[in-house]
Amino acid sequence: MKKLALVLASLMLAGSLTACGGSGAGKNGTLNLFTWEGMFPEEVLAEFEETTGIDINYVNFDYDETMLMKLQAAEGGDYDLVIADDYIIETAIAEGLVQPLDKAKIPSIGNVNPLYQGQFYDPTDAYTVPYGAGVQTIVYNPANVDAEIKGYADLWDAGLADSVGIISNYRVIGGMALKVLGKSYNTTETADITAAGEKLNELAPNIRLIKDDYIQDDLISGEIDAAVMYTSQVTMAKMTDPSLEIVYPEEGIGFGIMAMFVPSKAPNADAAHKFIEFILDPERGAKCYEYLGYYCTATASEEYIAEEYRGFLTLPAELDREDMEMIQNITPEADDAHIAAWNAFKGLCE
Amino acid sequence: MKKLRKRALIYPIVMTVLTYLPILVVAVYSFNESKLSSKWDGFSLKWYAELFRDDSILEALGNSVFLGVTSSVLAAVIATSAALGMAKSKLPLRHWVEKLALLPLIIPEIVLGMVFLAFFSLLGLPFGMLTLIIAHTAFCIPYIYTEVAAALENLDLSAVEAARDLGAGRLTAFFTVTLPMLSPAVISGMFLSFAMSFDDVIISIFVTGVSVNTLPIKVYTQIKTGLSPKINALCTIMLAVSVLCLAIAGIIKKIHRKYS
Amino acid sequence: MTRKNQRTATLAVLPMYLFSLVFVAGPLVYMLVLSFMTRDGFGFTNAFTLENYRSIFNEVYFATFLESLKLAGISTAAVILFGYPFGLGAALLPDRYAHFFRTAQMIPYFVNSLLRLCGWIIIFRANGLLDKALMALGITEEPLKFLYTYPAVVVGMIYVLLPFMFLSVYQVAEKLDLTLVEAARDLGAGKIRAFLTVTLPLTLPGLKTGIILTFIPSMGLFFIASILGGNKVVLIGSLIEEQLMRAHNQPFAAALSVALMLLTGVVCGLLMKKKRGA
Repeated sequence: MKKLALVLASLMLAGSLTACGGSGAGKNGTLNLFTWEGMFPEEVLAEFEETTGIDINYVNFDYDETMLMKLQAAEGGDYDLVIADDYIIETAIAEGLVQPLDKAKIPSIGNVNPLYQGQFYDPTDAYTVPYGAGVQTIVYNPANVDAEIKGYADLWDAGLADSVGIISNYRVIGGMALKVLGKSYNTTETADITAAGEKLNELAPNIRLIKDDYIQDDLISGEIDAAVMYTSQVTMAKMTDPSLEIVYPEEGIGFGIMAMFVPSKAPNADAAHKFIEFILDPERGAKCYEYLGYYCTATASEEYIAEEYRGFLTLPAELDREDMEMIQNITPEADDAHIAAWNAFKGLCE
Repeated sequence: MKKLRKRALIYPIVMTVLTYLPILVVAVYSFNESKLSSKWDGFSLKWYAELFRDDSILEALGNSVFLGVTSSVLAAVIATSAALGMAKSKLPLRHWVEKLALLPLIIPEIVLGMVFLAFFSLLGLPFGMLTLIIAHTAFCIPYIYTEVAAALENLDLSAVEAARDLGAGRLTAFFTVTLPMLSPAVISGMFLSFAMSFDDVIISIFVTGVSVNTLPIKVYTQIKTGLSPKINALCTIMLAVSVLCLAIAGIIKKIHRKYS
Repeated sequence: MTRKNQRTATLAVLPMYLFSLVFVAGPLVYMLVLSFMTRDGFGFTNAFTLENYRSIFNEVYFATFLESLKLAGISTAAVILFGYPFGLGAALLPDRYAHFFRTAQMIPYFVNSLLRLCGWIIIFRANGLLDKALMALGITEEPLKFLYTYPAVVVGMIYVLLPFMFLSVYQVAEKLDLTLVEAARDLGAGKIRAFLTVTLPLTLPGLKTGIILTFIPSMGLFFIASILGGNKVVLIGSLIEEQLMRAHNQPFAAALSVALMLLTGVVCGLLMKKKRGA
């Protein structure tokens, strides 16, 4: 017992020491930044604290839904700046949890890539500034795959038996089957969704794993030969093994946007605006996108992104923008159909 | 006196080695130059350097330790005294309350987190360390209660009676006889509580406030951006520190014994 | 029993009594009420419905309950098989060794569980440490592809849950009176008989606690199946998470949780009764 107590006591001491050394309110107040861990390089945050005298309090959530529940519980207060996914922002705005941006305080707003503006969640760009976009691609290892992969349909190829990895997100994966059938990601026709589910069931023999974490490692170690995964994972995989191929599926590109917004009762909205302006600086933005591994949403930053990253952090110029579609909120009935199809599919993967 | 037979050591040693195998692998990979565990790019200390530059992670570690210790101690006091009094108390519905206290074990964390969030905001409690401690204490109590209740089943009450017969007061008898006999159960319960609290992410995310991050929250909220090996580095250090503390404690004990 | 005794006992129980009534019953009632509400967009409305409970009997969801029960059963059995002899064996060693093994089971908990499982991934993955070792020894010739299989999930479950069994058995076995076992042996009982008639009954409370602390969490655990099993086993825990976090169907998630609680409670009740009868 004494031993355990000793370990605990020393850890506690270590903990309290570091806790004391860590924070202390900045002289110009605090910015409560609410987003996932690892969204900004340490030096950019430090630079902001230094130049503005505002202390950053970095608070994290795991899922967008958690963020929404916390924001609801705080009634739009507590947090100054939130970065989350598009679809949840649509709900947050509808619930009155977001305040319109004061564009006068963000002179660099023109740096944003117009492709990522005026989207469904904020049609007039009154509330949000995008920060990074996820683009659905297929990644494969050409050394182990005989066929050339051009689109989602090629994942159904019998040659890929037990060697495909996918992320655990039914709108992305179900949407992939919808695309193969020539439908929209956002169709609300349950018959279409059910048909896509049946199509997906035929993919089951090729599926080796369905998971969200570390999937890039499985591609590199040879556990799987092709994968549909999150953009940051694609970036990490490609950085580690440049021989991997990234494919923009010929059926069409699905994409999602992460955006920054200021909650309706943010205690320090002014600091939030300062932070947005700070990140929109072209050079600093480039540093952030390289670190983040998501597609760059600021046109002005593109030229500053290092050559080695640019190929997969900016969209290829030849891409037809008509083919791009965002994954949006759909009706509960359509959602239920997706889930039913998804669980039936997972049950078939053995 | 328990005698040592060499053969009896084999199985515990094998199990202990298996326990540490994956941890050692994680520790080795904290020195990997590459961000990915699927590729060994050579020895590097860069993740340790990054770790020490990141104040927020160390602060989160401090919060986690404080939270784990506070809630397991609180839970130990509440659960142990309740287990001792349960047989003799006459509170209405006490046996139902006994089962009620165990329920947080069964409710899936994510649902527990969600209802805690709703319930705390209904009560108007400010989200932060206080709500974290309440929630963690609630799910720590079952671990300690079940352990202590099991130990009580085996407890030799005649020893307590003997002490009373010899003239020991109730408090003295409690502190010199009952408590020492229960302490292994209380310790293992507290330890399990601490472990659960120290590793909990789902409930914590829901009930924490603006100013308190815990270590698991830092780890699991990297889903979107990919796990950084600086967490491996941190865990390696923590492991080393705990082993070191135990070793020092052992040496002090030995010296103490030699000279007394 | 004196009146004073009773008052002390009541005072001793009171903190847990009040704490549980407020902070456990409160949220629980909230969950129960929620399970009868009607889903509405991202939230829910106060219209009473039984639809959430009816949906549980949908084929896919029902199969998920059975799948969870199966994995929890297998894991608990495996944890008893490996953990009981470990706890008992360690506790019967001389103090110095016993304490060493107990402490050794505690330290790993300072390492995040996600990371510990990640360690197994590195070991099990294709061409990983296990494969390399087996191939070097000439036991296998090509990668086993052990990761993302059902046995890999079971290994992960055992790994995470074993300390619960170990500690529960250890803390009871530590106080085991060895003279009783010796007496039984002296009276001519064989090793197995002595174990069945003396050691096992005396360590049964520890085993029971171990089973509770293993079985109950294993019904809800799903991140092991998702990390080591590639998510191909659909468990009730992941279904609840999906309903809550992706489908925004809070009432259905609550109903699933109530069902899970009932199922776990019933199975535990049955387990405990049988053990008591034995």
